[in-house]
Amino acid sequence: MIELKDVTFVHQNGVKALDAVSLRIESGETVAIVGENGAGKTTLVKHVTGLLKPSSGTVLVDGQDTRGTSTAALSRKVGVAFQNPDHQLFSESVEEEMAFALRNFGFSPELVENRVAWGLEMFGLEEYRKSSPLVLSGGEKKRLTLACILAWDPEVVILDEPTVGQDSIQKEKLTGTIRMLRSAGKTVVVVSHDIEFLWPVQPRVVVMKAGRIVGDGPASTLMLHGSLLDSARVAQPQLVSFYLALHRRPNQPFVDPLEARRWLEGESAGQ
Amino acid sequence: MMWLSGGFVFRRGTSAYHRLDPRVKLLLSALMFVTTLLVRAVYELAIVLTFMIAVAALATVLRRVARTMAFTALFSAFIFALNLVFTRNLETSLLYAVRFVAIVVSTSLFFITTSPDELEQVMKTFRLPRDVIFAFVTAVRFIPVMMLDTIQIMDAQKSRGLELERGNLLRRVRNMIPVLIPLVVNSVVRSGELAEAMESRAYGAVPRPTSLVEYRTSLTDKAVAVAAVLVFAAAAYSFYFVLPTQLP
Repeated sequence: MIELKDVTFVHQNGVKALDAVSLRIESGETVAIVGENGAGKTTLVKHVTGLLKPSSGTVLVDGQDTRGTSTAALSRKVGVAFQNPDHQLFSESVEEEMAFALRNFGFSPELVENRVAWGLEMFGLEEYRKSSPLVLSGGEKKRLTLACILAWDPEVVILDEPTVGQDSIQKEKLTGTIRMLRSAGKTVVVVSHDIEFLWPVQPRVVVMKAGRIVGDGPASTLMLHGSLLDSARVAQPQLVSFYLALHRRPNQPFVDPLEARRWLEGESAGQ
Repeated sequence: MMWLSGGFVFRRGTSAYHRLDPRVKLLLSALMFVTTLLVRAVYELAIVLTFMIAVAALATVLRRVARTMAFTALFSAFIFALNLVFTRNLETSLLYAVRFVAIVVSTSLFFITTSPDELEQVMKTFRLPRDVIFAFVTAVRFIPVMMLDTIQIMDAQKSRGLELERGNLLRRVRNMIPVLIPLVVNSVVRSGELAEAMESRAYGAVPRPTSLVEYRTSLTDKAVAVAAVLVFAAAAYSFYFVLPTQLP
């Protein structure tokens, strides 16, 4: 579905943001792209949306080369919720904000109405329907931007640092939303420093450092590589740290972190 | 557009011109500016413009000045066309058009080689009110930030199916609304936050705060300033008394 072949991107000032990156993401996959600031995570996803074109190499989305396709055309397939919601909110009301992209894509008025109603209910924003999006709190703005993206039902959903400014309850809801998108067969790409909230989803994890991919694999195994995560400045999920701490003791009770999670979930349910 | 507007933004440099006292750089730019107003023929203006390009080359900012010139070319063409329609004089129209480019280059030479901190020091020497200096310097300092904001907002809106380059002129102007509103709102919010942050760090607590850097004009600075004044005087004399005012 998404394929980057040997992609290099050099900024106008000569800084190499991506260095021979190759990555293939299949339809329906959930992928977390993690790494320190400046590792090239956002640059990578901007290539998928066609906002940036590679200096060399190829980016294919659904077989289409992004070099020959406009961002507006690609965005019908690829929806991106950017890090800062203040960079996109401009309409008079929350419902108008949600309808903006739908109108750009030429949806019928009835469909626009239906999709807006769905998004408002899904993200608990009905009470703000007629309010200005600019007066919402940081967390509500984040939810609104996500609702705006999901309203047009893109095949690929990219979330750029979705947990910034979100409390723990909202993070849990976000995890639930990602689960829901996965069960709906969507391809989900999450760019984040925060692997903790993604741990329950067990995504494929791509670790980036200095414009290169330095690790790629399932979260359950990749998160055990402490030295790799340290070098990319990614914190291990607490549960993995808990498992590893137990693992160093004799008679450790769990065979892997997933079993530890199942045990914890069982304990929580028992309470 | 972003590539062009980058021609007005300061970037650190190591050339001898960059190292000059900012007050001397201001003097140089002011003299070049005045000279562009003094000249009365296109070929004289061409000499002045060539001198400015030589200064830009010396300051290793020639490419960026070229960007500035490219940016002003559109407005310059408009000035030329407007003058040609009303005066029906090719030379006068050309003079005004090129003069506009020269004026912008003379001022941009100062701004692209002078940091906001240096700019603040220059304004202090004119004993301008502190709040005025702060407001002006902050505005200059935030130009690159706003440019970055603009790019990010455009990216976000393009990702929602907005096609900025599509349609007739009216449609394109309307398409800019989703970019301009977040840009203005963000700027207003940022200015409020900045005001609070400044007050929480004792801005305005004392009438005359001390300065981290005190500029002292070096011998080189003085020599450059004297040379600049002499060149200016020679140029002004030549343009008025030696060189013919009409095109040969």
